[in-house]
Amino acid sequence: MELAATLFSTAYQFGDAFAFLVISCAGLAVIFGMMGVINLAHGEFIMCGAYVTAATARAGLPLPLAILCGALVAGLVGMALERAVIRHLYHRPLDSIIATWGVSLIATQGVLIVLGSTMQGVGTPLGGVAVGDRSYSLYRLVLMGAAVALLAGLYWLFYRTRFGVVARATIERPQMARALGVDTRRVYGLTFGLGAALAGLAGGLYAPTMTMVPTMGATFMVESFVTVVVGGADIFVGAAPAAAILAAIRAGLTAWYGQLFGQIGLLVAVIVVIRILPGGLSAFIKRARR
Amino acid sequence: MNDARTFAPEAAPRDRRSGLAVWLRRLEGPQTMGRGSLFWLAAGLALLAAAAYPQFSDDYTVGNAAYFLVWTFMAMGLGVVWGYGGALSFGQTAFFGLAGYAYGVLTINVGAAYGFTWLALILSVALGGAFALLIGYFMFFGRIRGVFIGIVTLSVTLVLETFMAQTAGPQWRIGEARLNGFNGMSGMPPLTLPWPGGDLVLYPGAQLYYALLAMVALCYLGLRMLLNAPFGNVLVAIRENPERAEMLGYDVRVYQMLAFGLGGALAGLSGALYTAWGQYITPSSMGLTSAALPIVWVAVGGRRDITATLLGTLLVLTAFQQLTIYGSQYALVAMGALLLFTVLLAPDGVVYTAMERLGRLGRPGRRAGR
Amino acid sequence: MTEILRVAGLNKAFGGVTVARDIDFALEAGAMHCLIGPNGAGKSSFFRLLLGEHAPDSGTITFRGEDITRLRPFQRIRRGMSVKFQVPGIFKALSVRQNLEVAFQNHLHGADLAATVERVLDFASLGDEAGTPAGVLSHGQQQWLEIGMAVGVEPQLLLLDEPTAGMSPDETRRTGEMLHALNARGITILAVEHDMAFVEQIAKRVTVLHFGAIFAEGSIAEMIAHEGVQRIYLGAADE
Repeated sequence: MELAATLFSTAYQFGDAFAFLVISCAGLAVIFGMMGVINLAHGEFIMCGAYVTAATARAGLPLPLAILCGALVAGLVGMALERAVIRHLYHRPLDSIIATWGVSLIATQGVLIVLGSTMQGVGTPLGGVAVGDRSYSLYRLVLMGAAVALLAGLYWLFYRTRFGVVARATIERPQMARALGVDTRRVYGLTFGLGAALAGLAGGLYAPTMTMVPTMGATFMVESFVTVVVGGADIFVGAAPAAAILAAIRAGLTAWYGQLFGQIGLLVAVIVVIRILPGGLSAFIKRARR
Repeated sequence: MNDARTFAPEAAPRDRRSGLAVWLRRLEGPQTMGRGSLFWLAAGLALLAAAAYPQFSDDYTVGNAAYFLVWTFMAMGLGVVWGYGGALSFGQTAFFGLAGYAYGVLTINVGAAYGFTWLALILSVALGGAFALLIGYFMFFGRIRGVFIGIVTLSVTLVLETFMAQTAGPQWRIGEARLNGFNGMSGMPPLTLPWPGGDLVLYPGAQLYYALLAMVALCYLGLRMLLNAPFGNVLVAIRENPERAEMLGYDVRVYQMLAFGLGGALAGLSGALYTAWGQYITPSSMGLTSAALPIVWVAVGGRRDITATLLGTLLVLTAFQQLTIYGSQYALVAMGALLLFTVLLAPDGVVYTAMERLGRLGRPGRRAGR
Repeated sequence: MTEILRVAGLNKAFGGVTVARDIDFALEAGAMHCLIGPNGAGKSSFFRLLLGEHAPDSGTITFRGEDITRLRPFQRIRRGMSVKFQVPGIFKALSVRQNLEVAFQNHLHGADLAATVERVLDFASLGDEAGTPAGVLSHGQQQWLEIGMAVGVEPQLLLLDEPTAGMSPDETRRTGEMLHALNARGITILAVEHDMAFVEQIAKRVTVLHFGAIFAEGSIAEMIAHEGVQRIYLGAADE
């Protein structure tokens, strides 16, 4: 019984870290993998999703619907941003990063000015479940399920739907896709919107577990960047296994040495991975497959 | 290097001009705007005006101006790494913070006697540079390129911030120096010059201002010489076409790593001076907002030219000092907007574009600075 | 005559695509040699293997008696190789003179550097354009500038990837004269070329690549008369 409880505790730690990495990096990975743009306003889309979720949930909407609302609003904001700014910078990837950083500053401080330094959140639903002599949050178990469902959903979207096929074709050969009558600008706009919506979804899902502050997006930044860097450009072959490996590192180090070493462990893992695997895991896995 | 020489003179007499003369000629060159007596006259006048400024102002305002000068080193370092080397680093604040903390730890433990603060300054800068070389080694020898350099450097500075923010307990001390977590470290001595008849303590005010002004001028001139030297030429060549540079026999990785190390050392200089200026340093100096600031200065000023970077940084800092009077949140919103509009409307930088126009006016029909 | 370059058993594949298949190849010092073959024959890949931009899966490359298979590109350049790319690899933002200075300052300084730049400017007929940004030169002049950059590092072996691509007939002829002049000064030349008239102008011997393997080798006349070579060129034209 003792052993089983320890095992469950370890698995829970791992699952929690894995879910956090997958959910927080999905939006960043879609935008980077599909468009080559690093979105430094990623954290602010997460914040946007969390705020909308909290506001609509407190207005009486059931939590799952409120989360979808958060994702939807973040997605619409993302599409607007793509049209106003990102669209003009596709041939200047470094400049597009800087522009999104400008957006991030404006969003964080703008929210601070308009809505104040904190906002009332929603409590964590579902309560806890006891295993051995410890209690575990049931909602966090739901988040683990959500992470797996998210990966499955993205796989279905990009490999089984018309939009996915068109999007992947556009990314690989933009001129060819244009010649075949694809409105590539629309595809880019939708892809960016999708990435923003995924960030909003992350914010919505984690809203019940966090304090609502305008800078909350920053807490997701390091983890999602690190996952994308280790994973490389492909979210399925790269980011998902990267999240698993990093989650194992973080859960292990956190269990033994505490939060900080978990984060330092992530950073060291990144530096080691980029030294031995340029192009990230996805390039390595693709090479190995051949 | 080869036995047969096709174009090079077989046994030409070695260049006998002294090293100093060669370096002085590099104050002007292809990689920096501004040449000729008119430019240097203007530069001299600007320096004179800056030197005369404390005579017409009070100590508090001069201390503030010194604060602006503190930041210019980090900006010029980023200009070298990003503008000349083509590697966009988001994490210069990592080296800034590391050197800032190092200065605090060293001076709190050893004190300010016998001019030790200056040795501490040098050691802190060396630490910042060495850490940058290490990160640079992993990045450039790991063939990291483009946007990934930005992500890795940003991650480094954010992790350092997290690390320093949790050092609140009494167990986090190095000798006498408590790291003090989120609240940061304070109480270190300012820069102190040993002086006959009592040490000269450089509190924010005219004396510190003059010391900093001299350092900025030396650093600016030194960078001009370095950028027009073979090192700078190769750096620009690598930015323009890394493959061709490699195929001319240059080890691209080494040049990029050295440039990154130089940028880190300059960021470290800013960090150590910042700590000495205000006698405190906090983890938030390595946070996301702080990390954005050097990018704003350099992007708005112009990254392709060291003069534009220096002027732009001072300009943006002054403008935002005025804005901050109305509240720092508004200043940051304005800063974000400025960044956005610079990227969209004047991608080369506002000061750079203005300088290029000015240069064309002066010499019709020729490209400025060439 | 001594051998300057020897390639033995060189293989390289990307995924399922083989770009080099058991290549055995040798070059005498002082030769002017052309590599020909239909599109996709592996000519450019062979150059990249020689230069170290790709690491071979197996095989060795010996240059001036030294095994350079594992060396990085810049190390090979320092041992006396040089290359002119197909797409002009010049620094467009720098002036013509600065391009040459950057190219030579690794081994030359001060007055030596200035004198060498002047000679190369003269050699590449770019004396009047010394102050012009390289990006605004005509296509032919850009090619000559890059040849100038490539020879200024004092190579023993000069690799040229389609040096006359996009040139007018007059520019092509002058490029050929330039290469003969370089060869007369002792530089071994290996060129990839499509223009058969140009191949005839510069090369004494020709190697034909096909599907990453050496298909035939001999004098230019032999190759033109070679039935198999005619077939692969016609076959390529059919596609």
